[in-house]
Amino acid sequence: MKLKNILLTTLIMASTAVWAEPSHRVFVTNEKDNTVSVIDTKTNEVTNTINIGERPRGIGLSPDQKLLYVAISEEGAIAVVDLDTLKVVKKLDAGEDPETFDVAPNGNIYISNEDDAQASVIDPKTGKIIEVIPVGLEPEGVAVSPDGSLALVTSESTNMVHVIDTAKHKVVKNILVAARPRGLAFNSDGSLAYSTSEVGNEVTIIDTKSLSIIKQASIDLPNSKPMDIAVSPDDKTIYVTTGRGNSVVVLDAKTLEMKANVPVGKRVWGLGMTRDGSRLYTADGVSSTVSVVDTATNKTIKTIEVGKFPWGVVVDD
Amino acid sequence: MSKLKKLGLIVLFIWPQIIFANPINVTLHYIGPTDGQVWAGVQQGLSEANLQGQFLGQNYQVKNITEEELAALPQSEITAVLVGTDAKHILEIAKMKKLAYVPVFNLSSDADGLRQACLSNLLNIPLSKQMKTDALAQWQAKNPDTLVTAHAWHHDFVKFAASQLNNRFTKNHKTQMDDDAWAGWAAVKMLSDTVARTQKTDAADMLNYLKNDLSFDGQKGDTATFRETGQLRQIVLLIDKDDNIVAEAPLRGVKGGLDSLGMVTCKK
Repeated sequence: MKLKNILLTTLIMASTAVWAEPSHRVFVTNEKDNTVSVIDTKTNEVTNTINIGERPRGIGLSPDQKLLYVAISEEGAIAVVDLDTLKVVKKLDAGEDPETFDVAPNGNIYISNEDDAQASVIDPKTGKIIEVIPVGLEPEGVAVSPDGSLALVTSESTNMVHVIDTAKHKVVKNILVAARPRGLAFNSDGSLAYSTSEVGNEVTIIDTKSLSIIKQASIDLPNSKPMDIAVSPDDKTIYVTTGRGNSVVVLDAKTLEMKANVPVGKRVWGLGMTRDGSRLYTADGVSSTVSVVDTATNKTIKTIEVGKFPWGVVVDD
Repeated sequence: MSKLKKLGLIVLFIWPQIIFANPINVTLHYIGPTDGQVWAGVQQGLSEANLQGQFLGQNYQVKNITEEELAALPQSEITAVLVGTDAKHILEIAKMKKLAYVPVFNLSSDADGLRQACLSNLLNIPLSKQMKTDALAQWQAKNPDTLVTAHAWHHDFVKFAASQLNNRFTKNHKTQMDDDAWAGWAAVKMLSDTVARTQKTDAADMLNYLKNDLSFDGQKGDTATFRETGQLRQIVLLIDKDDNIVAEAPLRGVKGGLDSLGMVTCKK
């Protein structure tokens, strides 16, 4: 059965990416000093600092984990870093004001263009923008489903999660969520997606089959401004950074009940997790640090000085 | 049917079809000048409302009318009234009998009397005089030597995504967003937010939602809500004589948060 084969191939391709040998490093964009800090996860020390370009924000890895992609917003580009040499090897045109992105299993980059109310799809092999998809105002978070069939984009000022069918590159559903939606994440099989609403102080669970909201809950903490999300490998727990709440909240992935609140640095946005789910790395913007959280004890075990205003985190471990 | 096949079928046939069975058309009425900042703000809000509406199946228009024309309009044709004139006229309009359950927005007056009137249908977007006075007092208690003025908005405001709003306003209107423009923008934007979330355009339903359930992102910090006086809760920007933003009120450490600014409750 053809359809089945295509889907299976996609699934297998998606899963092979996960098995590439990790380099045991964390990469952090420093928005205000135009660098990426490289952290060795064995020592949790900064080993390198890469001069990346103006106003680095979103960050991600190619499916084979050989390349690092960094959105350099002021240059309208994505810087491509060779992870063997830690050198910028090229810059891809990414449209106006690229902010965050996700890399699909087939390698395409889905990126939000904040000032242009659109999402762009870049083929990094050719360096071409292959599609531009109009979305709501101030598009922000992007996540591609594990099988690559869906891309979600939040629009902060129109309060929506836009669902894009990646086969057609068309918006197929617009889901209204609480005010100023930001971060997005899928669970491991892609059956659920999570979104955060920064101003509404909510987390939303979206069923990706019916494309409807199945749960919404606010975070019961003063000053909480939920941002980035990570889902544990067993899909039982989600971790959400709270911005000016200066913490990572640990929520039950089904009920959204708060299980713990882990203090980290100030104005925490970006969040990355090791593949085994044992460690979290947070970008504490105002503190200019990365906090390392042990998820077994829900405690910050180390605070690492990085560049100015760390924004995004990606973990290759 | 196998799960995969089902998924495939859903991808192929169901997802691509977004059909707006019943698009919602909303007409808002505006009374006031059509050459100033309030009107530019209303237009900005309108374009953003329609951008959102394009995805959700809603169309918005703003009709500029006179007070006399409003008086002649059948109640069934009025969803919300935006007023950018002076306090006297705003109060007159808000007190029109047929508008008792219609949201009437004050977009331009800081008169405390409009808040003290405690009309259940009057929603005041601008800062009241009292809010400004209280914000200035908070500042002067700590900084007696620097004179500042109190504003709802500033073209250099960056935080809370204010810069994005400033950018798109300037791009569209070739002028900078100020208090008046922000008020016009905010009113239309919160109305469209209400329609998007309630899927209703009945004036009384709108008013009820705006006063009780609204959680509005005015791109200046925490969600904005209305007091029982009809005043929008919001931060106040303090600007020095060189046109720099020096602080946001409520100032840190002041008790009462946003409600430390202006009159909060109605006299019983």
